[in-house]
Amino acid sequence: MIKLIEKIEGEAKLNFHFKNNKIDKVDVDFMSTRHIEDILKGKSPLDALVINPRVCGICGHAHLIATVRALEDCYEKIEISNKAKIIRELTLNFELIQNHFKWFYLTIFPLFGLKQNVMKAVTPSQLMGKAIALFGGQYPHTSYAIVGGVVCEITQMDLIKLEHYIDETIGFFEKNLLDVDVQMLQDCDNVMNLLSKSGDLVDILNLIETNGWLEYGKSYDRFIVFGESSYFAKGKSIKTRVMHNLSLADVLESASTTSFAKSVHYHGKYYEVGPLARAMVKKTPLIKDAHRKYKDSMFTRILARVCEISQLLLHCKSLIAELDLSEPSYIKPKMEITSFNSSGSSAVEAARGTLIHKVVIEDSLIKSYEIITPTQWNLCGGVNENHGVSQKAMIGLENTEIAELVFKSFDVCSVCTTH
Amino acid sequence: MSDRIEGVKKLFTSKSARVETNKGESYYLDLFEKCQTRLSELRASQPANRLDFSGLLNDNGIDRRDFMKWVSATTAMLMLPPMFSPLVAEAAELMNRAPVIWLELQDCAGNSEALLRSDGPKIDEIVLDIISLEYHETLQAASGFQAEKQLDEAIETFKGKFLLFVEGSIPMGMNGQYGTIGASGETFHDHLMRVSKDAAAVIAVGACATFGGIPAAAPNPTGAVGVMDVVKGKPLVNIPACPANPVNMVGVVMHYVLTGQLPELDSLLRPKFAFGYRIHDNCERRAHFDAGEYVEEWGDEGAKNNFCLYKMGCKGPMTFNNCSIVRYNEAVNWPIGVGRGCIGCSEPDFWDKYAYERPMANAKIKAPTGGVEKTVDEFGLGLLTAAGIGIGIHAIASAVGGKKDDGGEA
Repeated sequence: MIKLIEKIEGEAKLNFHFKNNKIDKVDVDFMSTRHIEDILKGKSPLDALVINPRVCGICGHAHLIATVRALEDCYEKIEISNKAKIIRELTLNFELIQNHFKWFYLTIFPLFGLKQNVMKAVTPSQLMGKAIALFGGQYPHTSYAIVGGVVCEITQMDLIKLEHYIDETIGFFEKNLLDVDVQMLQDCDNVMNLLSKSGDLVDILNLIETNGWLEYGKSYDRFIVFGESSYFAKGKSIKTRVMHNLSLADVLESASTTSFAKSVHYHGKYYEVGPLARAMVKKTPLIKDAHRKYKDSMFTRILARVCEISQLLLHCKSLIAELDLSEPSYIKPKMEITSFNSSGSSAVEAARGTLIHKVVIEDSLIKSYEIITPTQWNLCGGVNENHGVSQKAMIGLENTEIAELVFKSFDVCSVCTTH
Repeated sequence: MSDRIEGVKKLFTSKSARVETNKGESYYLDLFEKCQTRLSELRASQPANRLDFSGLLNDNGIDRRDFMKWVSATTAMLMLPPMFSPLVAEAAELMNRAPVIWLELQDCAGNSEALLRSDGPKIDEIVLDIISLEYHETLQAASGFQAEKQLDEAIETFKGKFLLFVEGSIPMGMNGQYGTIGASGETFHDHLMRVSKDAAAVIAVGACATFGGIPAAAPNPTGAVGVMDVVKGKPLVNIPACPANPVNMVGVVMHYVLTGQLPELDSLLRPKFAFGYRIHDNCERRAHFDAGEYVEEWGDEGAKNNFCLYKMGCKGPMTFNNCSIVRYNEAVNWPIGVGRGCIGCSEPDFWDKYAYERPMANAKIKAPTGGVEKTVDEFGLGLLTAAGIGIGIHAIASAVGGKKDDGGEA
């Protein structure tokens, strides 16, 4: 039985195979592509800063930051001011936050039979879009980060506006998603304490429980995070055992014959990426508690993603406090990037998980460019009997409606998956 | 050389090239009557959804005064005189009579994203709510087969009446197999042809749907083309840019509701109300250009003082769009505002022709010629850019004369 999944962006085709009235196997295919990696080939390395954000309209900013870091990685040594680093991290966090809101209200909410409320998705994502535009000029598709820093020269005035946008978003979170003070939420380490509160998140979590879906959506319980920041830690978590020693060189892609998307593995194994992975590696108390009770089910996955909103908002406030506006936004690199042959790679945490860029520069031009997106990690079909993360999570379910919900708990973004 | 200058002069002074901001009293009186008739017909017709506009305004805490402010701004943006304001207000309330179907093809969803962030204060959002979006893959709740069915029903119900918005290019390579939709594997091309057949008009939104955009950048691996390359014999509007400005999307729908017609277009099918001027004409940094004050490298004193970005590769002088007036994200900012410059994303083949990292002063780039409307610039800029040397001279002169501290201007 074939099912089409569209949303949040683009379309995925799921072909379900049943055995004894239970899902036995699912083929996941993505059916559209633009071949962005081929378009990058032979172009000036700096062109990538403008082309790559356009890989995706909903996480394009992560692509910009991944690009600029991959290009900077080509240098043996390059100096970036602390101010530029903080600004890049802020805008990246804003993009994550607005994605989480949109996914929750546009994708997850209606699947529980609740009325889709576009305004609830739009209001906070507009605020965060404005926050990005303050530094980046527009959202989506900004290119304000450049090799050596950022172009924007912000003032105290901009910071005042920014804090206002953040406070408004925190207010929205507390009023709509979870009626708990975000500071208190930070210290909460028992998920049961949340279920008696009110808010849209609580409604969803309670529905999962009353519908008897607490077991649904479990996969390998294997998580990986490559993108380090002042908030996220790099590492992998296998059945709660966390290790921090990872090498990007061990991340490999394999092509599929039926789908435009390539699957990704680390040392030959599939890993889940995203907010749940980040919380497991960072050992966030609340999410660890939910994991202890419900493992890597969609309950824990949804909770982890929504709670990342408030964590990041608070973290952004502390980042702003660290900003020193007298530092330079841009420090000119000692050499032009086109003046030497080299290669570089980068990993950043996008809304849906680890995003990796790898570039090779030869004779002043891009020789090759490889983009590995979070949705490739989570959604791609495995090779032969080795199931991908989302495939594994759907096996054993009774019907395709539940399977759709589980699949979407990872969040579909097919434009990124195939790019 | 003299031939070329003559040619360019002719282009700039031809009558069709002008944006008429005042078409005379009798024209407007006539239009006013037509709009009144149109609106009363619409009011009598069945709304496509039951959303109540003034109710929604109230729910969102917007008073009449805010609404009227928005109405005046929208009236001005559509280049109509103030007497049309009450009609624009009425048209906003009747927007639920204009069914819209939105298709996503070879895209990145950036324009849908932009639409979700349309201009405020919150009123365009409400307009978005009330526009009868009959089918939008990202925004609607239904998915898969249910969504396909919904699309077929919408086409049937609003046959010949709906506006079809298209986001994304159409891959023609490999028989269209680079992009298919639905269980049957219908190609994007066939999908577009099937749906557009019954549309009242087709609105291509964003750089990809209009002129191919990034997917069509060399070597165009998937053979991507714009909507106007495949859809023939239908009224068509292009709203280019990457992403297209939501203000302009709402503007086109508004114009259609108000007048029953599409807005006046330039030769690239872009609405003149939005694409009648270049970024450069209304740029907040224009005075620095005129004074010969440029950013010479990232992070220099010029950058800190918001000088002109022309030498850093800004394509504002040859790009037609209203970003410098309406800006982005509820007018919070825009690319030139943060000091990155314009990439020319609303022009055809923008990537291959313009690409950001090629300052025009030392590149062999010509302004788009061949029937593109242009306005004559008093400064002689348009004329000279088209010849490919003018700004070069201006910019080089300031560089030769040293940086801005020695008085700059040549």
